[in-house]
Amino acid sequence: MATLASLKPGESAFVTLLAEGSYTCKLLNLGILPKTKVTMVRKSPFGGSFYIKLERHQLAMRIDEAKTIYIDKVI
Amino acid sequence: MSKTGSFNIALLGNPNSGKSSLFNFLTGMRQDVSNFPGVTVDKKKGSFTLKNGKEASIIDFPGTYSVYPNSTEEKLVINVLTDQNNRNRPDLVVYVADITQLERHLLFATQIIDMGFPMLFVLNMIDLVEKTGSTINVSVLEEYLHVPVICVSVRNHQNLDELKLKINELSENTLTPDEKPLYELTDIESFVASRVKKHLDTENMYVAKITAHHYKWLKFLKDSQRAYISDIIIRSGFNDLKIQVQETMQRYDSYSDVVKKTILSQSKSSKTVTDTIDEWITHRFFGLVFFFLIMLFVFQSIYAWAAYPMDWIESGFAASGAWMSEILPDVWWADLIINGLLAGLGGVLVFVPQIAILFFLVSILEESGYMSRVVFMFDSIMQKFGMNGRSMVALISSGACAIPAIMSTRTISNPKERLITILVSPLVSCSARLPVYAVLIGFAVPDIKVFGFLNLQGLAFMGLYLLGIVGALGSSLFFKKILKSDSGSFLMIELPDYKPPIWKNVLISVKEKVFAFVYGAGKIIIFISVVLWFLASFGPGDALKNAELKANEVSMADHLSEEEKNNLIAAYKIEASYIGHMGKWIEPAIDPLGFDWKIGIALLTSFAAREVFVGTMATIYSIGSDNDEKTIRQKMAAEVRPGTDIKMYTPATSMALLVFYVFAMQCMSTLAIVKRETNTWKWPIVQFLFMSAMAYVGAFVVYQLMG
Repeated sequence: MATLASLKPGESAFVTLLAEGSYTCKLLNLGILPKTKVTMVRKSPFGGSFYIKLERHQLAMRIDEAKTIYIDKVI
Repeated sequence: MSKTGSFNIALLGNPNSGKSSLFNFLTGMRQDVSNFPGVTVDKKKGSFTLKNGKEASIIDFPGTYSVYPNSTEEKLVINVLTDQNNRNRPDLVVYVADITQLERHLLFATQIIDMGFPMLFVLNMIDLVEKTGSTINVSVLEEYLHVPVICVSVRNHQNLDELKLKINELSENTLTPDEKPLYELTDIESFVASRVKKHLDTENMYVAKITAHHYKWLKFLKDSQRAYISDIIIRSGFNDLKIQVQETMQRYDSYSDVVKKTILSQSKSSKTVTDTIDEWITHRFFGLVFFFLIMLFVFQSIYAWAAYPMDWIESGFAASGAWMSEILPDVWWADLIINGLLAGLGGVLVFVPQIAILFFLVSILEESGYMSRVVFMFDSIMQKFGMNGRSMVALISSGACAIPAIMSTRTISNPKERLITILVSPLVSCSARLPVYAVLIGFAVPDIKVFGFLNLQGLAFMGLYLLGIVGALGSSLFFKKILKSDSGSFLMIELPDYKPPIWKNVLISVKEKVFAFVYGAGKIIIFISVVLWFLASFGPGDALKNAELKANEVSMADHLSEEEKNNLIAAYKIEASYIGHMGKWIEPAIDPLGFDWKIGIALLTSFAAREVFVGTMATIYSIGSDNDEKTIRQKMAAEVRPGTDIKMYTPATSMALLVFYVFAMQCMSTLAIVKRETNTWKWPIVQFLFMSAMAYVGAFVVYQLMG
């Protein structure tokens, strides 16, 4: 299954599942849940982290963190 | 009523909900900032006069996302909420939510309600929603939560009087929500919760469940209680992560309709102002350009502009010292007041301009939302050194002064990343090293041009700064390896919408930091200042008296002028004092670095502050401490090693001394603030030792290679 880390800048998708682990709790608290729409906006200047847009707010996360978020078809 | 007897109001809410702005509005300047016991988490407490004349205490708790914490700050909040005997336990929760983020901000609110706390739910930033033409239907939300809901805009002072009325009303008549909980516990949760509830005598099932969930780190639990809970959890197969996911999803599901009915939005926003700004501000290239422009401005402000008020403070203290030495008799206690206490107080207050200016700028960057972007952009680089994106700002500010830089690390939530930033920041060359570099560089490097246009001394200057940066980054790698961390490292951070800063918040933050420094670190600085004064003003037995007599004899024989005589007396006196003896005593240890006892004395006195080196050298060479660097340089240039005609300040010795000052922790004020910020003497001592070791080894290598 594809993860959020595989999205290219400008692409959006829906979250299907969060891999259970040490990041899950934080992701849930930040509003990333199954069925949430996520958009990859850009990568950080030196790489390593992503600028993610949700319905009403923005988040930054590392590649490792984005890899725990499974997504459904790119829209 | 709470354990403390007063009515306790807790301000709770997610980060960026405007909670602190509301706190500043409700309490004004009547705030008291301290640490929560055992942790370096700011406890902001204020008071608020109720209509019945009673004082209510308000605590502005750290921003929290849910009862499942990820940081020290959040854990603290959960500790207070689950502990029924906690002295900060609220009688009323004023919950602040950003209406534009209602869905997310409801999560924690529903959990607090299920814990059984009476609540006033404050929907903040309604101006932002009204602007878009949406309508807000509060009654839907009230019906769902079963607590009073009020709409306000703290920024525009909208509806705040009604908010105060509501708090008054609720303080007289707090309704404990004993309705059906918003989240129904599953069978396994009920099984665990009911047993924990019975064992601990917990009032509420949900609190019992959360206690079971966090039993490993909740502070109020006894070991026997922990063992009991652990046993129940193992027997029941209570999987904490699965249960958390399940609970969170169900809560979101249960109120997603409520949110839609509460805010009847007209248009689905497409591209926001924040999106447009971030296209530039977090751009791969322009984002970096913008950051360095801002940092240039910050640096300029604390390096150059702060110099004016610092000069006023210094000359003010010098003038009052001179005035006092005229009106006070020539006795030891007058000298203690002038050269011990007054000098120490001056040494504290001189930092106030830099602290005030840096925090004025830093809190604008925080308030506006820009700081989170800095974290996003520099996370990957700083991560390699065990630090946080925010550490960039601290390290750059250290180029002016490490003290405000270290104070600015409070917002780094990972304890290890924060500690590393605190430990290595003083290695970046600060402005106080400049006078030392300026005096010594002429002896170490000839004043010639290379490649026709580059001044070699200028290059050496740059080299010293680079050496400091390399030292800072190198030791951060070392600490990254050896320090343990109990919390995992993650970035996952909200990038809040850009907002103009609320000036009241900015000014309160400046005031808070200045007071924290003056009261928190000031005591230590004045104490060390007095100790140094004592060591320099007294000597064993009649040593000082004899030194003065001898200086008098010499000046008579040499027909010295009155001024020359006084300078000579000062020089003989410092040599005869305790600190002079200490300088001689450490000479064998610093001899391999090419230093003599005179440098030894200057090393000891400049522990007060690096620039004191220059003044002490002036005193030792009996040229009066108000002389300029040029005179001191001439005197030092003429100095030879005793009994020989070998120059004392050879390039090797001078370079070794320069390298020593790049690394050495010659600043009691920094140590004092590290003590305050880490809440223990352990880290300032570790810092002093490792920086001294670096200085010693660095100077040794340089002297042995060049000598």
